[in-house]
Amino acid sequence: MSFRLRKFFRPNQKAAEKSGHTTEPLNSSLQKNLDALNNRTGYSSDIIIRKLEIEDNKKTKVAIIFVEGIVDSRSINDFLVHSLVSDGDLQDKQADQSVLDTIADKVVSVGIVNRIHDWKKLYESLMSGHTIILVDGMEQGLATSTKGGEKRSIEEPPTEISIRGPREGFTENIRTNTALVRRRIKNPDVRVKSMTIGQVTNTNVEIMYIEGIANKKIIQEVCDRLERIDIDSILESGYIEELIEDEPVSPFPTIHFTERPDVVSGNILEGRVAIFVNGTPFVLHAPSLFVQFFQSVDDYYSRAYIGSSLRFLRIMVFLISLYAPATYVAATTFHQEMIPTQLLIVLSAQREAVPFPAVVEAFIMEITFEILREAGIRMPKAVGQTVSIVGALVIGQAAVQAGIVSPAMVIIVAITAIASFTTPSYSMAIAARLIRFFLMVLAASFGFYGLILSFIVIIVHLCSLRSFGIPYMSPLAPFIPADFGDSIIRLPWWRDKKRPKLIGTNNTVRVGGNQEPGPPDSRDMKKKTRKGD
Amino acid sequence: MEKAKINASQLFVLIFLFELGSALLVSLGLSAKQDAWIAILLGMVAGMVLFFVYLSLYNYYPDILPTEYMQKIVGRFFGKFLACLYIVYFMYIAARVLRDFGELLVTFAYNETPLFIINAVLFLAIVYTVRKGIEVMARTGEILFVVLYFLAIVGFILVVVSGLIEINNLKPVLEEGMGTVLKTVITETWYVPFGEIIVFTMIFPYVNKPRKIKVACLSALALSGINITITTAISISVLGVDLVSRSQFPLLNTIQAIQVAEFLERLDVFFMVGLIMAGFFKISIYFYAAVTGLSNVFNTKETSKLVYPLGFVVLFSSMTIASSYSEHIREGLQFVPLYMHLPFQVIIPSLLLLIAFIKNRKKKKGVHQK
Repeated sequence: MSFRLRKFFRPNQKAAEKSGHTTEPLNSSLQKNLDALNNRTGYSSDIIIRKLEIEDNKKTKVAIIFVEGIVDSRSINDFLVHSLVSDGDLQDKQADQSVLDTIADKVVSVGIVNRIHDWKKLYESLMSGHTIILVDGMEQGLATSTKGGEKRSIEEPPTEISIRGPREGFTENIRTNTALVRRRIKNPDVRVKSMTIGQVTNTNVEIMYIEGIANKKIIQEVCDRLERIDIDSILESGYIEELIEDEPVSPFPTIHFTERPDVVSGNILEGRVAIFVNGTPFVLHAPSLFVQFFQSVDDYYSRAYIGSSLRFLRIMVFLISLYAPATYVAATTFHQEMIPTQLLIVLSAQREAVPFPAVVEAFIMEITFEILREAGIRMPKAVGQTVSIVGALVIGQAAVQAGIVSPAMVIIVAITAIASFTTPSYSMAIAARLIRFFLMVLAASFGFYGLILSFIVIIVHLCSLRSFGIPYMSPLAPFIPADFGDSIIRLPWWRDKKRPKLIGTNNTVRVGGNQEPGPPDSRDMKKKTRKGD
Repeated sequence: MEKAKINASQLFVLIFLFELGSALLVSLGLSAKQDAWIAILLGMVAGMVLFFVYLSLYNYYPDILPTEYMQKIVGRFFGKFLACLYIVYFMYIAARVLRDFGELLVTFAYNETPLFIINAVLFLAIVYTVRKGIEVMARTGEILFVVLYFLAIVGFILVVVSGLIEINNLKPVLEEGMGTVLKTVITETWYVPFGEIIVFTMIFPYVNKPRKIKVACLSALALSGINITITTAISISVLGVDLVSRSQFPLLNTIQAIQVAEFLERLDVFFMVGLIMAGFFKISIYFYAAVTGLSNVFNTKETSKLVYPLGFVVLFSSMTIASSYSEHIREGLQFVPLYMHLPFQVIIPSLLLLIAFIKNRKKKKGVHQK
């Protein structure tokens, strides 16, 4: 499998050369440079070349090049064109400097100005929204940062809603995203490392971690895996996830993603490494553990009892979403004697008219539901209502009245469907959706025996997974008592004092001693006998 | 030997699940009638004595598998021969337990499913697990331990609440004297399940803190022994000793007797879940020991490649070791304890220990652990 994958993703050398990343130096003639540029870009209409003549003694020709739409045109007008053209004092300023130096040092008034000497750098800067200034007679140019253009503003993340908690979500812009995290953790130890992945797309990918908390080995592992990626394009963090995960053939996700800056902040504070990808609001973080996929931000923001019980509920409900239809099939097919008599009478009365065995019935209903769900996601919002009406009528009523399925089956499918929506992580919920069908087949052929074995095998499989070397089921298996406080339950902050042991470094203390709150001493309400750490 | 490390608590969990495997299934020590529970407790103590034999052997050679130190103790040729015998022993017992479970499932729920299919499905899961190695087995054990214990506690509460327990069924204590009990211990409960801890000598070298092995094993033996004792005592007190000795699966009948609020009844699934989990572990560990042992004796590089061929051998022998269930049971009661368990669990290890002791006498002070 891995061999075939590797072959499939083998770097296409020719494509890399064709994409023009030659390190050929710039020409000294402006006209030649512009011709080369036009040839290379095929006279693309969104690449704007503005030729100017500046007011120095030689009337030097200058060209300003930028890609329309990804630059901020106001800053180009105000700070580049305007200052170049109308600055009559250029000659005075110039003194004995070269034209380029003068422009860089004294004329251009934007934040970042870089020298460029070769075409590779020029195209990279141009395509990422810099404005290039080329000067006649010079073998180098300037790249000024004028990134801009339209971008989505910060909105509430639609896939991760919380009752209590910040409403900000990531956007498609990588800088906005890193800034959102920086604003939460105001600490110089927050490190951001940048790299470019994708031979054709040259996508910016950045990793973020906290020095001193994140484990160096894991940072190195993440970097190594990212550097190993050799692919033409990265359009979403899903590409990266698929290329760096530990267990590509498992249905369970081993890398968690989120579009909430507070989640990323919380995770890097636990010693994880976040991977930002330009062009997507979904940020990956690794290593991810099984329990993490059932944690929602609300758990941390609401009081510990509520957080713990909801989290526990979610895991139980996950089991329901996996096993409910299969259990129904197994019970009605093999183990009728285990159903209480009253219930059995009701069930068999319902099933009497149904022409299919339970498993076929379950499959019909489950597949119908999957179709509806998929349609609901893909459909334009305007016709969404149609689907829900058709779905409710077809599934809920017509199928039962026509005698194709039994009402009990409808209830089971409905419970399963709702249950599968409680898992906060979409990728984990979808794993359950996939496995559910296999479980139904097992239930139909082996009853509870098959289901129990499948449960064992799923546990074995989960225990065999690792995420960046960390056992996926920790802190449950291997059982780590110190980390258990934030797993299927959440202890209050004053009890859960340590960062996850396996993930971070030795710097694990996160909450000081004597943090347990209580009523004041002065009223003699309670004698505080606090145990220090 | 694979590169793996498990910790002492994982070892504890594995032993516990392993010991429970048979005990949940068949009736133990019923030759002692209503004193079966005493026989089990004494068997546990005797098992602990055996464990000390295995532990001292391990302490002489803490880093290598028994299949390897046998070669050091009795020489290369005899050692290999002995190791092979042990591998066959482990595989045979794995096949036996597999057969037990298959037969149980066929009798109690799957009358029309062929035994072979039932066994094959269970063994597929086991092969998958053993391929993943001891670390994964240990981690799985930790999770299933919690599930199993939860079920056990709920089951216990339900039995008590339904008012099924009739203490008088356990009386009179020691009706036939201590002799019968001791005989039961020596012929039955010593070996199964407590002497079976010999299979864990194949796992001791993986434990990361060797000094904790003793505590982990003893506490696991004690806890499982007490649990089995309670289970047996409850079965006898609920069903009466006559019914228990005639029943194929006393615990199943006990659980079937539960009736709470006219809703919680026929909780066979309870029994099935516990049974399959514990049985799964028992067979997996025997099978794992056989696989590692074989790869160790013949120095194969990839242990996991041996899993499939050996798996087929165990699966097919589980079908062929007996032509019927009654024959299987008769073998288990008459032949296996005397000709399999007694030599492999007691005689050979004791002899090995004796030889190792003599061989290591000179350097004893340096090697032997505190």
